[in-house]
Amino acid sequence: MMASCLRVPFRMRSLLAIAAAFVTLPLAAATIDVRVQDARGGAVRDAVVYAVPEGRSLPLAKKTAVMDQKNRMFIPHVLAVQTGTSIRFPNSDDIRHHVYSFSPAKPFQLPLYKGTPANPLLFSKAGVVTLGCNIHDQMSAFIVVVDTPYFERADNGKATLAGVEPGRYTVRVWYPDMRDEPRPQTINVTGDARVAVSFVAGHAAAPPAADHHAHGNP
Amino acid sequence: MAIRSFQARLIYLLIAVLVLLEAGTLISLYVAGQRTLRGIIVNELRVGARVLERILDTRAKQLSDFLRVLALDFAFREAIASGDQPTITSALTNSRSRIDADAVVLIGLDGTVTADTLGGRMAGRKFPFASLLKIAEERGEASGTVSFSGRPYQFVIVPVLGPRPIAWICAGFEVEDRVLADVRHLTSLDVSIWTSSAGGIPALMSTLPPEERNDLIAQMSGMSSPLQPVETTMQLGNATYATLMQSLSTADGSHVNTLLQRDLEEARRPFARLELQIIALSVLLLLVAVAAAVTFARTVTRPLRVLAEGAGRIERGDYVSPIVLKQQDEIGHLATAFNQMQSAIAAREDQIMFQASHDALTGLPNRTLFIDRLSQSIIAARRYGPSVGMIMMDVDRFKDINDTLGHHFGDQLLIEIGRRLEQTIRTSDTVARLGGDEFAVKFTADNAEHAAQVAARVGTAFDAPFVLGDVSIDVNASLGIALFPDHADDPDTLMKRADIAMYDAKKNHSEIAIYEPGRDEHSIRRLSLMMELRQAIVRDELELYFQPKIDVVTERVVHAEALIRWNHPKHGVMRPDEFIPLAEQSGKISLVTKWVIRNAIKQCAEWKRNGIDLTVAVNLSALDLFDSELPTFITGLLSDAGLPPEKLMLEITESAIMKDAAYAQRILAEMKRRGICLAIDDFGTGYSSLAHLKRLPVDELKIDKSFVLNLTESATDDLVIVRSTIELGHNMGLVVIAEGVETQESWSILKRLGCDMAQGYYMSPPLPASKFSEWLASSRWGTGNG
Repeated sequence: MMASCLRVPFRMRSLLAIAAAFVTLPLAAATIDVRVQDARGGAVRDAVVYAVPEGRSLPLAKKTAVMDQKNRMFIPHVLAVQTGTSIRFPNSDDIRHHVYSFSPAKPFQLPLYKGTPANPLLFSKAGVVTLGCNIHDQMSAFIVVVDTPYFERADNGKATLAGVEPGRYTVRVWYPDMRDEPRPQTINVTGDARVAVSFVAGHAAAPPAADHHAHGNP
Repeated sequence: MAIRSFQARLIYLLIAVLVLLEAGTLISLYVAGQRTLRGIIVNELRVGARVLERILDTRAKQLSDFLRVLALDFAFREAIASGDQPTITSALTNSRSRIDADAVVLIGLDGTVTADTLGGRMAGRKFPFASLLKIAEERGEASGTVSFSGRPYQFVIVPVLGPRPIAWICAGFEVEDRVLADVRHLTSLDVSIWTSSAGGIPALMSTLPPEERNDLIAQMSGMSSPLQPVETTMQLGNATYATLMQSLSTADGSHVNTLLQRDLEEARRPFARLELQIIALSVLLLLVAVAAAVTFARTVTRPLRVLAEGAGRIERGDYVSPIVLKQQDEIGHLATAFNQMQSAIAAREDQIMFQASHDALTGLPNRTLFIDRLSQSIIAARRYGPSVGMIMMDVDRFKDINDTLGHHFGDQLLIEIGRRLEQTIRTSDTVARLGGDEFAVKFTADNAEHAAQVAARVGTAFDAPFVLGDVSIDVNASLGIALFPDHADDPDTLMKRADIAMYDAKKNHSEIAIYEPGRDEHSIRRLSLMMELRQAIVRDELELYFQPKIDVVTERVVHAEALIRWNHPKHGVMRPDEFIPLAEQSGKISLVTKWVIRNAIKQCAEWKRNGIDLTVAVNLSALDLFDSELPTFITGLLSDAGLPPEKLMLEITESAIMKDAAYAQRILAEMKRRGICLAIDDFGTGYSSLAHLKRLPVDELKIDKSFVLNLTESATDDLVIVRSTIELGHNMGLVVIAEGVETQESWSILKRLGCDMAQGYYMSPPLPASKFSEWLASSRWGTGNG
């Protein structure tokens, strides 16, 4: 059973993410087109791209997000939020779950519960929070907490960061089981320019034992 | 002996074939067994290797599962995630005791040991078994046997999930003796495991007995760790082990070596037992086969032996006991053939025996059998009495019959005589044909009188004339009797004396004669004389005497009859009647006759030279009449001597002429033709017919002396015969002479009766030639006084 799981990262290892950017001229804000591809030009799933402004901090988001649990899966598998976002962990299954995280960005646990806990959890520290269920080992999900409002999930290997204020940004990418982060790209965004950035996903990280189950959907 | 060796050869051959077969079977069984054993052992070793691997794998899996469960413990994970070193270490320690591991190590995702239960000995350093960790990274977990602290360990690595791997936890378990014991229990193989690292003294774990274990330790240093499994043989202690050696290198450059071993002796034990059983079975089979071979050989050779014994019996002359073999095979047929041969030999031998002991012509016992029976009877008579008698007989004038009527007739006559003789005797007596016309009878007799009665009865066989075809003939026989023990003590003598008696009978013209004691010496003398006669001629022991034949009218000698004398060195002067019959019997008469004629003619010639004119008379034997060369011989001698033939007169007895009158007549005619004078001697005794006499070409007739010797005026019978004979002779124109004139009276009577010549002691006895000459000169009858 383990063996079949091991194949997944092997495939991932050869992924190459390519981001292509198109420069256009908006009125007051620029747009960054990001492309994430593996080495063979295939799309890297569940990648999160985000642009972190240099030299300045942007106001924390006062938002709320939801990490649902349904059919013994976390939905979504990858949730990107800005620091300061509160996340609710509703349990849509009729069985209990025990959600936990050992990630330094936000260690927590929600011991066996049903329904929606009364209070959402605040994610104020940037980092990747790996979620698990202590009852169901195969359940896993990632909450990518970034210090910028400019982030996007690059479904099908493409993401567009829109309404970006001019300035200097470090564009970064994260994807599940990432071993070494593709080199962040620093760009200057002026006016309503449209900037294209591309990443090639490198080797995947050490095999996550529960990865297969964590995906849940293909 | 030959049969025994044949039987032995058969048995040896069968046994040899069996031994070869069994040896072949045993060898191929042994070879197959060895090959199978080797195959089995190799297989066992490989299976053992797999079992060991499986046991270690299972154990690893088990340990891995334990560890995985442990690694999933939330609190544990929480503790690990806490990053607090003391907490982590205590959690590891706790885990170690939970799963009963010997060491637990926490490894960061970067391969650095973050904590351990070894007092921090490894912490902060790279995890030493990188290859194991690499496998864990690839497969999510890993396990393997490694050398750790110089001992074999099983290390398992599983991730600590949060739920993604946040670290690796590794647990080490020392491989225990129990594992080896399990393998040993499952496979019956001895298992040894040790690690080899540079410089370190290897620690051996083994199921081997102490002695072998020490031996193995001693050999270890010389052993390299093979890259591939090696199958070999090792000598440990007193035992030989089939060995499979495997080695696996560990990350730290050391090796974990495993040995799987099988004690060959022990492995071979079931085979050895099987081999022993097969050998025992083979021996048993061999014994059974030997018994069968012996039985078979006997069944083959027994009939052969029976045949050989049967042949031996036949050889010894046992023609009665047949060979009894109930077999219907070839040997049975052979036995039948043997039996047929046996009866055929018996029949033939009977026939040969019969022929050997019987006369072919008459079927009567022959001389051999007769002597045999005679001997038996004499032996019996010596013990129990009474006397044994035998009759020797021959048929009178059989030669004449044979010559006249032919041999076939003679044979038929002999057969008939035999048949009649048999009818005259008792069954306990024996009639035999001894040869020629000679028969013999053996019988038991109380005394001589009884014997004579028996002989008389035997003689009746000749009473009736023999009628053969259209010829009827009267046959007489002379019978001589001799008795045991009266006349002889042994068969030879008895036969000889019966023979003598028979000759007596013949001589006396009596039918039967019994042996007279004392006749024997005469018989022996006769025999030796026969032998000496030829020598006598050579040695000049014979001499001619002459007796004058006087002319009755002139009273002067005219003829001289030559009479032979034998001056025998031992017996003195012998008269012809003592040896002439012997000469006749032994066939030497011709020699004697010729000698007489030669010397008579010589003497006659000498007289003639001296002026004495005499005719010499010579007596011829009956046998001389059958010598057809005799006339030529005589004529030759006469002409050599220069004498006219009429100077020789041949005197032939009447009986000699009558033996074969026709032939005698022929030869006499021949003599006469040659001018020789002929005279009939002993006239009046031979029953000659006048018709015969008339045809004979003779000149002179000599009256037998038996009529003259006692001739007196008063002896009327002799007087009548002499006168009649003289008249008969004169009537036939013959000169008549009387011999045996011994007195003046008989001389006067003869003169008166007109007899022509006279001869006898009255005038002169026979005289030697010299004396005869003197007589001629001095006597009044002599030529001198004329």
